Amino acid sequence: MKDNIPVGLGEIKLSQDPEDILVAYGLGSCVGVGMADPQLHIAGLLHAVLPHNPNGNISSSPKYVNNGIELLFNELISRGAHPARLIIRVAGGANMLNAPGFTQSFNIGSRNVEAAYETLQRLKLKITSQEVGGTIGRTVRFYVRDGRMTIRTLGNQEREI
Amino acid sequence: MEESQAQPSKIQSLLSSLTAEGIQNAARAMTEMIGETFTVTDPNISSVKFTEIPQILGGPENDAVGIYLRIEGNISGQIMLIVPYSKALELADLLMGEPIGTTQSLGRIERSALAELGNLTGSFFLNAIADSTGVYVRPSPPAVIVDMVGAIMDIILATCDIQSEEVLLIQAKFVRNGRETQADFWVIPDNITINTLTEKATQENEG
Repeated sequence: MKDNIPVGLGEIKLSQDPEDILVAYGLGSCVGVGMADPQLHIAGLLHAVLPHNPNGNISSSPKYVNNGIELLFNELISRGAHPARLIIRVAGGANMLNAPGFTQSFNIGSRNVEAAYETLQRLKLKITSQEVGGTIGRTVRFYVRDGRMTIRTLGNQEREI
Repeated sequence: MEESQAQPSKIQSLLSSLTAEGIQNAARAMTEMIGETFTVTDPNISSVKFTEIPQILGGPENDAVGIYLRIEGNISGQIMLIVPYSKALELADLLMGEPIGTTQSLGRIERSALAELGNLTGSFFLNAIADSTGVYVRPSPPAVIVDMVGAIMDIILATCDIQSEEVLLIQAKFVRNGRETQADFWVIPDNITINTLTEKATQENEG
């Protein structure tokens, strides 16, 4: 098996090698969005930090959920992927601070998930599977070969979503 | 050009001295609270890039404990102390007066002890800023988060654009009754706190 390809904060990584696994480690309020066309064995994983780009689309950046999803989608389409064949999986968006007094002002995880839903809806894309929200961090693995996604949380076994 | 390059080191040195003062004051307060001498020795303060923290803590997927405080008052901001999980267990032993290796998991009492350590360190850091700059600040109650390093750091990232910024790394030994544990702390003051300190540093330069 080849090495995992880490997808850092505010990054998109793409691969056309079926052996590759794209990994976003320790997603808290960040959101991971994986898109794959299993027929072409092409996939990409986004690791977005914040919901919306405050500068609109003037300076598009994968750091933002809305920009990142569009960038990922456009890149896959430009490489021949077909929208109808896309497997789309969403994970992360936890609200890491659930202590009294913090909850209201720190719902960035929920806002990231909402931004992902809005953007995917606007692009007329359907989510194949998801695991979002909660209060714990997740490591997300996205398999280029078949668009499978697994999630690991602290102290728990890796599982597929 | 030389002036603009000199400025960050000035702020760095101001932050370092405030932090050193903060942890020594916190140690004194811990001593009073637990009724036994609690000291912090050999503090070494340096700065590292925020994005390098996960690697220093063993990787973004490693388990860690974050103690988080918000700053409220005339300025607002946030402070996060992060230690690897194994070090948090040792610190809990030290705070609870148990032999190192006793605490195997962080229950309510152990979390509360760590919160108090964060509270005192954060408070004294803030008091040092307040004394130095004349602004009124107070810390929120601390939140203790046990999770992956990456997930804990998202809390800071979500509220300020700090990806390329440097933060303070404090390496120190905590000692109680001859027992000691080495811990690395990161103090991550946010941009607003930094700006207040920049103004202070500028005033000192002008004065």
